[in-house]
Amino acid sequence: MTDTKVRELVLIIDDEESVRDGCIQALERSGYTVIATSDGTGGIALAREKRPALAFIDLKMPDMAGMEIIDVLLKDIPDIVPIVITGYASIVSAVESMKRGAYDYLPKPFTPDQLRAATKRGLQHRELKIEARKLRDEKEQIQKNFITFVSHEMRSPLVTIQQYIESLKVVSAGALGEEAMYIIDRCVKRVKNLEELVEHWLDVSRIESGTFAREKVPVSVKDVLVKSIEEMALLSERRGIHVEVDVPDGLPEVKGDRESLIRVFINIIGNATKYTFEGGTISVRAGHADHYLEVTIADNGRGIPEDNDIHAEISCLNY
Amino acid sequence: MTTDKKKILLIDDDRDFLKATRLILESGGYEVFVAEDGKEGLAMVDELSPDLTITDMMMESWGEGFNVVSTIRAKKSGASMPIIVLSGVDLQGPYQSYQPSDEFPKVDMVLHKPVKAEDLLKYTKQLLR
Repeated sequence: MTDTKVRELVLIIDDEESVRDGCIQALERSGYTVIATSDGTGGIALAREKRPALAFIDLKMPDMAGMEIIDVLLKDIPDIVPIVITGYASIVSAVESMKRGAYDYLPKPFTPDQLRAATKRGLQHRELKIEARKLRDEKEQIQKNFITFVSHEMRSPLVTIQQYIESLKVVSAGALGEEAMYIIDRCVKRVKNLEELVEHWLDVSRIESGTFAREKVPVSVKDVLVKSIEEMALLSERRGIHVEVDVPDGLPEVKGDRESLIRVFINIIGNATKYTFEGGTISVRAGHADHYLEVTIADNGRGIPEDNDIHAEISCLNY
Repeated sequence: MTTDKKKILLIDDDRDFLKATRLILESGGYEVFVAEDGKEGLAMVDELSPDLTITDMMMESWGEGFNVVSTIRAKKSGASMPIIVLSGVDLQGPYQSYQPSDEFPKVDMVLHKPVKAEDLLKYTKQLLR
C-alpha cells in the first residue's frame, strides 16, 4: 500500500493484550493506522478524540458491555463502522450486536487474513454509507433551495411587471381608451393572482424549513381568531355565510407568532368561506383540555380529504 | 440650468424596477436620479444632496439597504434626510414592526413592492412637504 492514500484509522477495544498486539501488527502491515485500548471507557474517549473509521469491539469487557460501547460510538462518531469481536461466538450475541448497529462480527480466534478481510469489507461499507448520506443531504438541500430560489426568482419579475403597469397608468394618463384600460386591468388581476400563488408557495417552504413562525411570544388565541374572522368578514358576508363563534374568555395563552397564526387561520377560514355553499354556516370554536388548546373550524362545504392532516401542522407551529 | 424641482434618489438593483418607479415619480414633477447599487447610491448622495432617498433593501447583499440607510444617517447632511425603504422582502417579519433602534437606523417609511403609483406619490409628497 502506498503512502499517497490516506491511512485509515482503526480502533481496537479488547481487554486481552495478545489480541490487541496481534491486531495492531496485522493491520499496520496492511497500511492502516491502529489505535488500541483495553477498556470501554478508554475506547470511547479515544474514539471521540481520534474519530476512527472502523472499530473492533470485544463484546465482553470488564467495565462496560460491548453493546453499550456500540451505541455510544454510533451516536458520537459520524460514519464509524463497528465490528464485534466475540470470544463466545454464540449466534445470539452476534445477532444482537448486528441489530444494535454493528456491521459484522469476528469470532475468536481469528487469523490475520480474516481480520484484514473484515477490515476491508467494513471500510467499503463505510464508503457507501458516506456516499449515501451525502446524496441524501444534497437531495434535501436541493429540494429546500429549489422552492426558495424559484419563489424569489418568480416574485421579483412579477413585482417589476406590476410596477411597470402602475407606471403605465401614470404615463398614459387618459391617453388610453376604455378597451386598453380593460386589458391593463385584466393584466393586473392575473399577475396579482400569480403573485399570490408564489406567496403561498413561499409560505409552504417556510413552514417546511421551520422558519415560518418568527417569534414565540404569549398570544391570545381568542384575539387571533377574532382578528382572522374580521379579515374574512367581507367575503363571508358577500357570500351570505353565517360565522358562528364560540371562543370562551379566559383561555390560557399559547406561545407563537401572532401574525403567522393569523395568516394560518385566515387561510383556513378563507378556505372554509370559499368552499361552503352560499348561505351556509362556518363554526369557529376553541376549547381547553389536557394542556392543549383545541381550535375547531367546521363548515358545511365539501370537506377535506382525510389524508390531509391539517391538525398536526398547526399544533407543531403552536407549541 | 437650475431647477426648483425636488430631487429624489432611487436605489435598486433591478433596472426595470428603477425605470418603472422613476416614471411614476417623474409624473409627480420630481427630478429623479437612479443608482443600481448601494455604493453608487451613496456616492450620489454626496454629489447631489437629494431631498429624498428611496432605497431597496436586499440588493447584492442581504442587508445592503440597511448599510445605505445607516451610512446616510451617519452623515451630517443625511441625518434629517427623508428615507423610504421600498422593499420586496416580506415585511411581515422583522420589518413589519420596523422600529428605530440602535441596530437599525431610523427610516421615515417602509413600503412594500410593488407600490401603487398614487400611494408612492402621496407618501413622497408628504415627506417632502
